[in-house]
Amino acid sequence: MKKHYRTTVSAVALFAGLVLAGAAAEAAGTLTIGRREDGTTFDPIKSAQNVDFWVFSNVYDVLVRVDKSGTKLEPGLAESWEVSPDGLVYTFKMRDAKFEDGSPITAEDAAFTLTRIRDNPGSLWADTYTVIKTAEAKDDKTLVVTLNQATAPFLATLAMPGVSVISKKAIESIGEEAYAEKPMASGAFSLVEWKRGDRVVLKKNPNFWEADRVKLDGVEWISLVDDNTRMLKLQAGEIDCSIFVPFSKVAELKQDGNLNIMLDPSTREDHLLINHEHAPFDKKAVREALDHAIDKQAIVDTVTFGVGKVANSYIPEGALYHNPNNLQRAYDPEKAKQLLKDAGVEGLTVNHIVNAGDTVDEQIAILLQQQLAKAGITLNLQKMDPSQTWQTEVDGNFDTAVNYWTNDIIDPDQKTTFVLGHDANMNYMTRYKNEKVKDLVAAARVEADPQKREAMYMEIQTIAKDDVHWIDLYYSPYINGCRKNVTDFYQNPLGRFFLEDTDKS
Amino acid sequence: MDRFRFVLYRPLQLLPVLLGISIITFVLIRSIPGDPARLLLGTKSTPEAIARIRAQFGLDEPLWVQYLYFLKNLFNGEMGTSILYRIDVVRLIGERIGPTLSLVLGSVILAIAIAVPLATAAARNRGSLIDHTIRIISTAGLGFPAFWLGIMLIILFSVKFDMFPVSGYGDGFADRLHHMVLPCLTVALALSAVLTRNLRASMIAELSSDHATAARARGLPEGMVFWRHVLPNSLVPTINLLAVNIGWLIGGTVVVETVFSLPGMGQLLVRGIFTRDYMVVQGVAMAFACAAVLINFLADILTAAADPRVKI
Repeated sequence: MKKHYRTTVSAVALFAGLVLAGAAAEAAGTLTIGRREDGTTFDPIKSAQNVDFWVFSNVYDVLVRVDKSGTKLEPGLAESWEVSPDGLVYTFKMRDAKFEDGSPITAEDAAFTLTRIRDNPGSLWADTYTVIKTAEAKDDKTLVVTLNQATAPFLATLAMPGVSVISKKAIESIGEEAYAEKPMASGAFSLVEWKRGDRVVLKKNPNFWEADRVKLDGVEWISLVDDNTRMLKLQAGEIDCSIFVPFSKVAELKQDGNLNIMLDPSTREDHLLINHEHAPFDKKAVREALDHAIDKQAIVDTVTFGVGKVANSYIPEGALYHNPNNLQRAYDPEKAKQLLKDAGVEGLTVNHIVNAGDTVDEQIAILLQQQLAKAGITLNLQKMDPSQTWQTEVDGNFDTAVNYWTNDIIDPDQKTTFVLGHDANMNYMTRYKNEKVKDLVAAARVEADPQKREAMYMEIQTIAKDDVHWIDLYYSPYINGCRKNVTDFYQNPLGRFFLEDTDKS
Repeated sequence: MDRFRFVLYRPLQLLPVLLGISIITFVLIRSIPGDPARLLLGTKSTPEAIARIRAQFGLDEPLWVQYLYFLKNLFNGEMGTSILYRIDVVRLIGERIGPTLSLVLGSVILAIAIAVPLATAAARNRGSLIDHTIRIISTAGLGFPAFWLGIMLIILFSVKFDMFPVSGYGDGFADRLHHMVLPCLTVALALSAVLTRNLRASMIAELSSDHATAARARGLPEGMVFWRHVLPNSLVPTINLLAVNIGWLIGGTVVVETVFSLPGMGQLLVRGIFTRDYMVVQGVAMAFACAAVLINFLADILTAAADPRVKI
C-alpha cells in the first residue's frame, strides 16, 4: 500500500505546483488585448478583414492618416502634398522616417506600395486604386502620383490599411509569402512573433518616426473566440483589454469596479434592406408604410440596451457630410395601414432573412414581426447560416434583411457608390434605381469644391430617404473594456486603435 | 499468430473508406451555399474582384476537375493552399495539431482516472447507496453540454478561486499542463460518465465469472481477485468503447477549443467552415478521419493482444 500512498502525495504536489505556476506575473508595459479572431496575414493588400486592419495600423504607417475624430486627414509618412489645378497630379513630400531595420522609407517604397496594390494578382483592393495612372519616385523624398481622372476621395483612400507602406527591398529579397509572416515595420510596433490562430506579439519599434509618442513596450493581440470567455478573462485580470463587448454585457461589466467600459463613436449603421424588384416593394408607398410601421426606438432600447441611437441617414452621425436634418418617418402603424390601403395592397406578407445564431439579428427579427403585425403586415422569418445570407441577398431571394456597414475611409464616396450609384452590385442588393441619384453620385465623386460636394451629398441623402432605398435602423458605438490601469485606449470611428497613445501603469 | 493476420490486410480495406470520406467532405462543404471568394473580399467587393479570386484558387473549374486536383494533392501528401491564410494547409494543420492532441490525450487519461475508481466502487458495492449515487452522477455528467460546463468550470476555478487560467494554451510544459486542466476536465467529465457505466457492467459480469469463482476457491482474498482477474479483463471492452467514441471525442474538442481558446484543429475547422475555406475543411476532415481510422485499427491490435480468444 505504500506505493499507492506515494503516488497520491506526488499527484497532490503536482496539482499544487500547477496552481502556483498560474500566479506568475506578466511583463510590465505590454498591453494584452482579447479579440474574437486572430489575423490572417501581414501582407496589407491581401486582406479585407478588420482583424488584420487593426494590426496593420500598429505595424505600418500610411502616407496620409485619419485623425482621432475620423473626419479629417493628416500627414503620415507624407509630410505634405500638392495637387495640380486639374486635380490629376498629386506631389507628395516624404517625411524623414525609417523602417524597423533603420533603412530610410523612401518615395520609391511608397510608389512601389501604390503600384503593387493596383497590379498584384493577389490584391483584394485593386478596384479602389485603378484610378492611379502612374506612381513614381522623382527622388528619395518626392512621390508623384498621376490619376486617370480627377477623384475627390483619392487622398482619403491613401489612409486605408491596404496601402500601408511596405519595404520594397525587404519584400523583394525575402519574397511575398515570407513577408506576409515577417513584415518590415514602418509603424509604431514591430512583429516579435505570430502564433497563427492564437496571438500576435508586437514590441515597440524604436525606429518609428514618432517613437517618442509610444508609451507601451509592446502589445499582444490574443484570439478569444467565445464572447463569454473573453469577458471572463478580462474580469479575471488575465488580459488588459477586451474588444467587442456584447450589448447585453455592458451594464453588468460597468458594475465591475476594476474595469472601464468605453463607448467610442463608430460609423456602424444597421439598416433594413428591401428588395425593390419584388412586388409590391417596387411601390414607394409600400416602402414608406414599412418605414412608418417600424419602431426604431424600441429596437435601440431592446437590442442595444439603449447604447445605440436611431438612424436617419445612410451616412452615419459624426461622419463627413452627414445630414442631421434628414427626414425621420414617425412610428405610426395607423398611417402605415392607410398607405397600404391607398396603394391597394392587402394582407402584405414579407419574407425576412435572419442570420441564425446571431442574437442581435434574431432579436430584431422578432421585434419587427411584432411591430409590423400592428400595421397588418405578416413577417415570415427565414433563418439561415450567416455565411450564406449574403449570397441569397445577391441572388435576390429575399424581401427584407438586416445588414450593416462600417466606413473604411472618411470620404462618403465609397459607401454612397456601393449603396446608391453602383449598377454592378444592384445598389447593395436592394435593386434600387434612381438615375438622378446615380448621376449625382458620379458628379459628387469628381467635385473639387468641398462646399458644393457637401450640398450634393445632402441632396443625395434627402432623395434616397424620400425613395426609401432602404430603412435606416440605428447607429451604434464600438464597445471595448479595459482594466482601470489602462489609459487612452481609443478606437476612432473608422475602427483604428490608437495604441501609440495608450499607456498602462 | 494467426489472429494478427488482419494487421496486414486491414489497411488495404481502409483505403476505400478514406476515399469515400474524401468524396463526402468534398461534396458536403461545397453543397452549402456561400462563396469563399465573396467571404474573403467582404461586403464591399465588386463582381469582377470576386471572379478574379475565384479564378486564382481554381474555383471556376468544373467540380470533378477540382476533385481530381484534390486527390492528386492527397497522393502527393499535399492538401492545397488555404484561401483565407494563403499558405499550405499541411503547414496550417501542423501548427494546430499540438493543442488538439494534448486535449484528446489529456481527456482520455483524466477520464480513465475518474472512471476506474468510480466503476470499482460501484461494482463492488452493487445495489448500495454508493452505486446509486455514482449512477446519478454519471447520468448527470452525460447531460451537461460542453460549452456550458466549460464556462461553469471557468467561473468556479478561474474567476472565483483563481486556480487555473481562464483560457489559452500556455508556454512551456508546466504552464501548458496548467492551462490544459480545465479543458481536459470538461471533456473528461462527459467521457468518464460513459466509461464508468460500461466499466461497471463489465466488472459485475467478471466478478461472477467462472475464473473469478475459481480464484476465490483457490483461497485468493477478494481484493486480489479484483486486481488480478476482474480489472484487467473488464478493461478490454473499455478500450473498444474508447475507440468507438473517438469520433465523438474529436467532435467535442471543436466546442471545447472554442470555449477555452485553444489554437487547435477544431477552431481551424470552424473558421474554415464559416469562411468556406474549402481546402482547410477538406484537409482537417481528412486528418480527423485518418486519426479515427488509425485509432480503431490500433484498438483492434490491442484487443487481440490482450485477449487470446479474439478473432478479427
